[in-house]
Amino acid sequence: MMKRMMIVLVAVSFACASLLMVTSCAKKQVKVEEGAKPAPAVTPAPTAKPEKAAPPKVEKREAAKKLEEERQARLRELERAQKLRAEIRAFESTNIYFDFDKSELKPEAQAVLEKKAAWLRAHPEYKVRIEGNCDERGTNEYNLALGERRANAAFKYLNALGISADRMTTISYGEERPADPRHNEEAWAKNRRDEFKLYK
Amino acid sequence: MEKKSMKFKSSSTSRILKVHNGTFLIGLLLTIVLFWQGDASARIFIDINAPSIQKIKIAIPDFRNLSREGENPELASELAGVVANDLEMSGYFSSMDKSAFLAEDKDALTQEEIHFKDWSVIGADLLLKAGYTCIGESVELEVRLFDVFWGRQILGKRFLGKAKQYRTLMHRVGNAIIKRLTGNQGIFLTKLAFVGTATGHKEIYVCDYDGYNLKRITFDRNIALLPRWSPKGDKLFYNSYRGGKGPVLYLKDMVSGRVKTVSARKGLNIGACWAPDGKSAALTLSEGDNPDIYSIDLEGNILRRLTNHWGIDVSPAFSPDGTKIAFVSNRSGSPQIYVRDLKKGTEKRLTFEGNYNTSPAWSSLNRIVYAGGEEGDRNIYTVSPDGSNLRKLTENQQNNEDPCWSANGRYIAFSSNRDGAYHIYIMNANGQNQTKITSFKGEQTSPSWSP
Repeated sequence: MMKRMMIVLVAVSFACASLLMVTSCAKKQVKVEEGAKPAPAVTPAPTAKPEKAAPPKVEKREAAKKLEEERQARLRELERAQKLRAEIRAFESTNIYFDFDKSELKPEAQAVLEKKAAWLRAHPEYKVRIEGNCDERGTNEYNLALGERRANAAFKYLNALGISADRMTTISYGEERPADPRHNEEAWAKNRRDEFKLYK
Repeated sequence: MEKKSMKFKSSSTSRILKVHNGTFLIGLLLTIVLFWQGDASARIFIDINAPSIQKIKIAIPDFRNLSREGENPELASELAGVVANDLEMSGYFSSMDKSAFLAEDKDALTQEEIHFKDWSVIGADLLLKAGYTCIGESVELEVRLFDVFWGRQILGKRFLGKAKQYRTLMHRVGNAIIKRLTGNQGIFLTKLAFVGTATGHKEIYVCDYDGYNLKRITFDRNIALLPRWSPKGDKLFYNSYRGGKGPVLYLKDMVSGRVKTVSARKGLNIGACWAPDGKSAALTLSEGDNPDIYSIDLEGNILRRLTNHWGIDVSPAFSPDGTKIAFVSNRSGSPQIYVRDLKKGTEKRLTFEGNYNTSPAWSSLNRIVYAGGEEGDRNIYTVSPDGSNLRKLTENQQNNEDPCWSANGRYIAFSSNRDGAYHIYIMNANGQNQTKITSFKGEQTSPSWSP
C-alpha cells in the first residue's frame, strides 16, 4: 500500500517536472496526467532504482512517517472527542430556571434554549431528555404537574426552533431531585429548573 | 373469648357530671355523660363531637400477673403501657402518672376489692384494672374498667392473644374501651403507610398507627411516592419511578404481596384516590401534555374523564358518597381547591385565603382537610364542603403538609418539619393532641391511613 503510494508520488513529481517543461495546450497536460497514473506500472525504472538502492532507509522513513500520521490522526480524534465531551458537559450542565409556581420561559431561559437548539442542529445524532424540577415548597403532586409543565415549556420552545419532537423526551421529577438540598430561597431558585440530558 | 360482666346500681335520667376536686361542675364544656337506659345498661359517654375535649383522667396500674409460674412478669407494665399510650393518643384521655397512685389494692381486680376513694382522691375519673395469664405462647387478659366516682364497673371483658403480638392484643382492648365510651370504632388497630428516606431513596413503608412494627414495602431504589390504602385496607396504590419512565401507578396486594402495574401512560399517572366502593380510582393523567383528572378501574382502563381544563388539575379526593371530588387546580393563577359535582358537572372554588392551597382529603364525616397558606409556612386547615366553618389546625410549627383522615374521620395524620426533618404526626380532627408518630432515620412524609 505504502509502496504504491510512494511510486505514485514519484510518478507525479515526474509528471510535474515534465509539466513545467511542456508549455503546450491543456489537452496535452491532461494526457500527461493520464499517462502519469499508470506510469509506475509501465515504467517502474525510476522508482525502482532508489527502492532497490536503499530499501531499509526508505522503509524506516516510511514507517516513521506512517506512525507520525497515525499519531496525528489519533490526536485529532482525541481532540475532537474532548471537544465534544466538553460541549456535551456544557450542554448538560446548563439548566434553565423558573420563577416560583411558574412554567413560563424567562428571556435568559430562551437564550439558553436557542444555544441548545443550535447545538442539537449541529449534532443530529443526539437526542435530549428534558427533566422538569421544582423547589420543595408545595405538594408532591402539584409539583409533579408543575415540573412536567416546565419540561414541556422547553420541549415546545426547542420544537419551535426546529428540533424534531422525536429527538426529545420529557420527564417530571417534581420536588424529588433538588439540585441544592438546603431550605432557603437561594436553594429553591436553583431547584426550579429544567435539566437536559443527551443520549443517542 | 370476650365475656361481659357488668353490674350497675340505681338509675336516674341522663345526667351530666364532671368530677373535679370532688365536686360536681355541671354543664362544663366537656364532660362524662351518664345515660341510664331503664334496664341498667348504663354508659359513660364521651361527646367526641364537642369543639374541644377536656381529657378524662384514667389510672392504669400495672396489670396483675395471674400466670401459674409467674412467667412473663415484664408484661405487667408493658401491657398497661400500650393501652395507656393508645388512650392518650385518642385525645380523650390523660393517662395518670403511676407515681401518683396511693391505693394499696395492687392485687384487687373486682369492684368489691378496689378502694375507690384512694383513686378518687388523686383525681382519677376512670380506673383500668386487668390481670393476665400466660399459657404457652398465649396470653389471656381479664380487663375491667371502673367509674371511680361511682365505684362502678363499666366494662368487663376477656381477651385472648399471642404473647409475641401483645401490642395488637392491647390495641384490641383500647378499641373496646373507646367503643364503650364513645360508641365509635377506635383507631388502635389501624396502620399508616408513608414515604421514608432511610435508605437514601424514597421508599414506601407501613407501621402501626402508633409508629411501631415498621415494615418496608418497596425496594425500588428509585423514587416511590404517594401510598394510598384501599377502603378495605387490603391493597395499596403507590407511584414509583423504578422503570425510569416517570411516575407509574402500581397496586400492591397487601395480602398476597403481589404488585401490578396499573397505569404507565406517558407523563404523569399520579395521586390515585380510591373511590369509596374500592372498585375504581381517580388520578391525574397527563399523557405527557396537560394534567387532568380521570377515573380508572383497577386494571388501569379509563372509565371517565373527570376534569377538562388547560390548567393543572391534580390531587382528587372523593366525597364519602362518591358523588363529588375535591381537587387542586391552578386555573385561577395559583393552586386552589375546587369541588366538582360529578353528576351535574359543576365546579366550585372552595379556598380563597392564601395563594397555595393543596392536598385535599375528604373525611367520612364530610369535612375537607388541606394544606394551605402563603409562600411561607404551610398549615393544616379543615373546611366544610360548602366552604363554611374554616378552621386552622396548626400554627407557628414550621411546615405542615400531606394531611389525611383516619377512616372514622376523627383524626388527621400529616407530615411536619417542626423538629427539623419531616416526620409523621397525628392529631384530633380539631387540631388538639398533635403527636409525633415516626422518628425514623431520614424523613417521613405523605401518610395514608388504613381503615
